[in-house]
Amino acid sequence: MPIIEVTSEITGNVWKIVARPGERLEEEAPIVILESMKMEIPVTAPEAGVLLEVCVLEGSTCSEGAVVARMEV
Amino acid sequence: MSLPTDSLDELDRRRERARAMGGADKLARRRAAGQLNAEERLALLVDAGTFRESGLLGESSVFEADRGRTPRDGKIVGFGRIDGRDCGIVVNDFTVKGSSTSATNSKKMGHVRRTAIECGMPFVHIGESTGARMPDTMGSRGMGNLLGNDPHQFRRVRDNPWAAAALDTAFGSSAWMCCCSDFAVMRKGSIMAVSSPRLVSMAIGEKVDLEALGGWRLHAETTGLIDCVVDSDAEAMAAIRRFLSYMPSHNGELPPESPQPAPAGDDQSTLPGLLPEKRTQVYDMRRLLRVMVDRDSLFELKPRFGKSAVVALARLGGRVVGIIANNPAAAGGALTVDAIRKIVDFTVLCDSFNIPMVRFMDTPGFVVGLEAERRGAPGLIMNFMNATSLVTVPTITVLVRKAYGRAYVAMGGGRNNDEMIAWPTAEVSFMDPGASTHIVHGVSPGDPGWEEAFTHIARDSEVWDMASMYSVQNVVKPQETRDYLIGMLDVYRRRRRGGIGEHLMRTWPTSY
Repeated sequence: MPIIEVTSEITGNVWKIVARPGERLEEEAPIVILESMKMEIPVTAPEAGVLLEVCVLEGSTCSEGAVVARMEV
Repeated sequence: MSLPTDSLDELDRRRERARAMGGADKLARRRAAGQLNAEERLALLVDAGTFRESGLLGESSVFEADRGRTPRDGKIVGFGRIDGRDCGIVVNDFTVKGSSTSATNSKKMGHVRRTAIECGMPFVHIGESTGARMPDTMGSRGMGNLLGNDPHQFRRVRDNPWAAAALDTAFGSSAWMCCCSDFAVMRKGSIMAVSSPRLVSMAIGEKVDLEALGGWRLHAETTGLIDCVVDSDAEAMAAIRRFLSYMPSHNGELPPESPQPAPAGDDQSTLPGLLPEKRTQVYDMRRLLRVMVDRDSLFELKPRFGKSAVVALARLGGRVVGIIANNPAAAGGALTVDAIRKIVDFTVLCDSFNIPMVRFMDTPGFVVGLEAERRGAPGLIMNFMNATSLVTVPTITVLVRKAYGRAYVAMGGGRNNDEMIAWPTAEVSFMDPGASTHIVHGVSPGDPGWEEAFTHIARDSEVWDMASMYSVQNVVKPQETRDYLIGMLDVYRRRRRGGIGEHLMRTWPTSY
């Protein structure tokens, strides 16, 4: 099963982590929610699969293109 | 009098040998691996019984040893109908020398491509190939024979639509054709790259695996070179047929209309409920679009690339439209560098093939920050602006929610359209009210005076002032929008030119 990296499309602050490692996610299910551009912006699973790890901490800054999570798909 | 039977028999014998492709063993191996062969792909692509092959007896003539051993020289080419319309078609046959590009099959491909352009029909290339044929192309004799003899091979002036597929191994011509086509589909498990990992390893000493070098994720998510990813060859052929159903046969005609007035995707009264209550929350714009356009007609391109924008072909009241929309579900609808590339590419497609455009705007602006600047955002934003200003097909802009700053203009705000309408939820300003409150009044949330200053600025961003000065032509409820668009796209038809645009971007690049 390939492992993919989930990246952020936008720079922002990590407001909430909403999925846990080991959880099975559908495509487009939210993993973390960023605060950016005065909005709550989810970073979602690009494909269905199992969340292996979340690579950011709540309250930290996340850059555009940064790896937010890894999934097995 | 009758023809000598031996010459007729010889023709039959040669035809049979050509139709055997690379031989029973190779075909059996493909079947065992679950791969379709070129004939099977062709049958899924064209209307039954309509294919007229050209060059059945073509074969390699470079080396004596190849004579009689390269059926069709590895490429099935000719003319067939897709949904009743003629198309020029090339289908690679990998069982013959990996469908490598040769002197003879280059002439076959060139003939079909030129005919499709000159006679005004779509051109379709079903790619599976290894690249230029070795050793045919070696040395000055090989180069003199092969490369560069067709100066128009990759010349795109968008006279006719091109569609291409990358199936299994797509090196060389199969990759080139995907990149210079208007639509490219890739089957999962296929590889599209300039050259094979073996060649990469030899050339630069880098070890790479196939998926990393040219797998579907790379092209669907990172390069944006592929418009559509599918699971099977049958789906790939269906995707090409579907794409062409929205396209005219050439740029001098209008896209095909549905014969019957088409029903809406869903009950229009559901639309207001699809927007979130809070302006800081996001939603998936595609859900709104599916409700507004004709049922099941939304055909999104590059859905995994630059996801904060949606580009899609669709029908409204049976007529083809191109939709460009911000999608707040990704990056809050902020226009990323990839979203810009995707929109510009789609704008060129629509304008070149007389497809009216509808833009749905909900964007907080262009993405700012180090990464965007590093990727050349200012240049791409100006490219976007230029494309927007060069559009000559009818365009209507709908302000759904946020419409801020330069992004508002690039997305078809102001006079960059035939008409701009707004939903009552629209907010228009140079900057988000939160940011502008901070800059203008020097206060932050929680500071004394913030609430009052923010409320005042947010109220000024509502659309009513713009409507009162006729800078939007109408404010329309979400549930009224579909009928409004159908009616107004009819008003803005380019009657003096028979609906044909000026095609000012017809020579723009085929990828960005």
